[in-house]
Amino acid sequence: MRTKNKGKDFCMFALPGMFCFFAVVIVPFLYGVYLTLTDWNGVADVKNFVGLKNFGGVVKDAQFWTSLLLTFKYVIFVVIIVNVLAFGIAYLLTRGIKGENFFRAGFFTPNLIGGIVLGYIWQFVFSRVFVNIGESTGWSLFEVSWLSEPTNAFIALVVVSVWQLSGYMILIYVAGFMGLSEDVMEAASIDGASGFVKLKNIIMPLMMSSITICLFLTLSRAFMVYDVNLSLTAGAPYGTTEMAAMHVYEKAFTSRQFGVGQAEALILFIIVACISGIQVYLTKRQEVEA
Amino acid sequence: MRKKVMAKVILTVLILAMSATVLTGCRFGFASDPDDPNEVEKKVPIDTSTDTFEYDASLDGTSITLLNTKAEIQVALEEMGAEFEKKSGVHVEVMPVTDGDSPYTKMISLYNSGNPPTLAILDTTDVIALAEEKAVDLTGEAWTAEAEGYTTDIGGKIYSFPLCIEGRGVIYNRKAIEETLGREFDPDSVTTLDQFKALLDELVAGGMEKPVSMAKEDWSLGAHQLQYIYETFDGTSEGAQKVIGDIKAGEADLHSYGRVSEFLDMFDVLKEYNVAKGDPLGADYDEMAIDLADGKTAFWFNGNWAWPNLSEAGAKEEDAYGFLPYFMNNDSSDFVNSKIQGSPSKQVMLDGQVATEKEQAAAKEFLNWIVYSEIGQQMLVKTCNIIPPFQNNPYEPADPLSRDIYEKVHNGRAFNASAIVPNDHWAVLGAAMQKYLAGRSDREELINSIQDYWNEQE
Repeated sequence: MRTKNKGKDFCMFALPGMFCFFAVVIVPFLYGVYLTLTDWNGVADVKNFVGLKNFGGVVKDAQFWTSLLLTFKYVIFVVIIVNVLAFGIAYLLTRGIKGENFFRAGFFTPNLIGGIVLGYIWQFVFSRVFVNIGESTGWSLFEVSWLSEPTNAFIALVVVSVWQLSGYMILIYVAGFMGLSEDVMEAASIDGASGFVKLKNIIMPLMMSSITICLFLTLSRAFMVYDVNLSLTAGAPYGTTEMAAMHVYEKAFTSRQFGVGQAEALILFIIVACISGIQVYLTKRQEVEA
Repeated sequence: MRKKVMAKVILTVLILAMSATVLTGCRFGFASDPDDPNEVEKKVPIDTSTDTFEYDASLDGTSITLLNTKAEIQVALEEMGAEFEKKSGVHVEVMPVTDGDSPYTKMISLYNSGNPPTLAILDTTDVIALAEEKAVDLTGEAWTAEAEGYTTDIGGKIYSFPLCIEGRGVIYNRKAIEETLGREFDPDSVTTLDQFKALLDELVAGGMEKPVSMAKEDWSLGAHQLQYIYETFDGTSEGAQKVIGDIKAGEADLHSYGRVSEFLDMFDVLKEYNVAKGDPLGADYDEMAIDLADGKTAFWFNGNWAWPNLSEAGAKEEDAYGFLPYFMNNDSSDFVNSKIQGSPSKQVMLDGQVATEKEQAAAKEFLNWIVYSEIGQQMLVKTCNIIPPFQNNPYEPADPLSRDIYEKVHNGRAFNASAIVPNDHWAVLGAAMQKYLAGRSDREELINSIQDYWNEQE
């Protein structure tokens, strides 16, 4: 009787969700893995099995490894800056300063603008507004468009991503700070903990669950960045800001090498999955109960 | 409590207002999209009184789809479809490819969803990639005779309908040149690279500091400029294919192949006089059109598709714009110094996999209607503003750029060569060209990257 009920419950509650998950995640994923073993060009009726040839193509594709390296660099910058900034701002925004809600909403707004729109807005800022400022003030920093010099274009990408992602992380950290028990804080103060000691020994361990979520979100989002990359720089100048996800798309659709593009996507997936998995495992271990 | 709620409401309103102004404020300063399909353009009246075309009554009620990848003629094509429906009873649904979607990607998704368009306007490379498996063989169609020299041969067959001729070169603004020089300017008087350079120097001396605009876009650098090295081999598509084959096979050395250094000689001249020389990769496309129309610059390397941008920047149809050739050396008898490149760029492919026989027949009738009916001929030229590749079409395009190409094509002052290159040629080598344009690589590095690109092709 009991088992029968369980089966019925499973069918009622889990099956629809499972079905959708299989249909839009698992099946396409497995199909994608299968495509890495074929020479399909996207439209042909026949798909010839070519074994691991596409992975050989990935090894030979120097641009992919360059873009992967660039992505790593980008991820490191974005994850650190976003989390430090968001943590700091969230800390300030839970101290009871005037207009807290206004600021919270203000910082969150960039996250409501889609990546593509955001990219175009900032493109305008970097290549027109900044250049105009440079022209009228003579500041060499803004003399030429940031987007036409590889290092500056990379910095521009990081700046825009940080600006976009921080708001969301601030919200999560704010929730974390609000959840801190007043009793614990008070007890810590009575025991003489203050300032940095309190932050390091009391607040940080209690905030670990928020940090886990925020790190995971920023890591995976930064690795998979595409929209801002496309609309802000589109790889310019001369392909130096092309991140891994964008390279995969270009490989599949512009170079029309579906197999190689798909194999690169798979490699990117494995890298992101491993790194995020390790991160979640490590930070979860640091979590404590109040 | 109530006060608190009120405060919150006011705060929310304030925030909404703030974000709204931020968002709308950012729109300020963007030039409007020249390819905006919704833009209302002035209508050219079409004379529909004569129509000797014979319609097949059995096709009445058939519905076909047309995938349009030329955004600027979306409205015009819809009008054309409506007119054709009035006469033949065949409904033509024109599907646009939105910005950001590449035509080929759109075709892939439509084919994979089992819903391909009956007719699709594609680039020649796309037709070559798809035709043999998907398209209907159009070799026997009557219009192939009218479009002689402009059809694309794939394995001895014709799978596509050439929709238009497009040409490119160095666009000049005659008025701006004459005002700066203080004398009359005859575009035909310039026949060598040195003469072109002398003209540029004269313009600089006359007060026009930097007379050239040069797009930094990879499609312009990688496809429209760089492809001269293949297309000028002997000015034919076959010649271009031959030289590409030789480079691919390692038989032609790019370092010693003359057209490469000649091409770069011209490119260097354009680069030297570039209005955006200080920051060539920061150049803005819309601004180039404005600069040329305002007479801040005298030349812009581009094609006749730049007319909507120029017209938006204030250029009038009666103004004197035209093309100079892409001068590559000082031999005035070399065809590159007297002819501009003009060849069919968009091809219409007819689906043979999913479309029914009736739909195929209706689609063929539509293509015939464009070539042979008085209304179709007029609409192709006047409504779509296209340079027709069909000899029997008596109408001439209205804008100065298309008119110049039309005249050059008909006077034998254009060469019809289009290089068929891999699809990522413009993107990969466009980046290499950008690096060269920005002065961050030398000829040696650029030529090596072109060679490397071809070595990687199978």
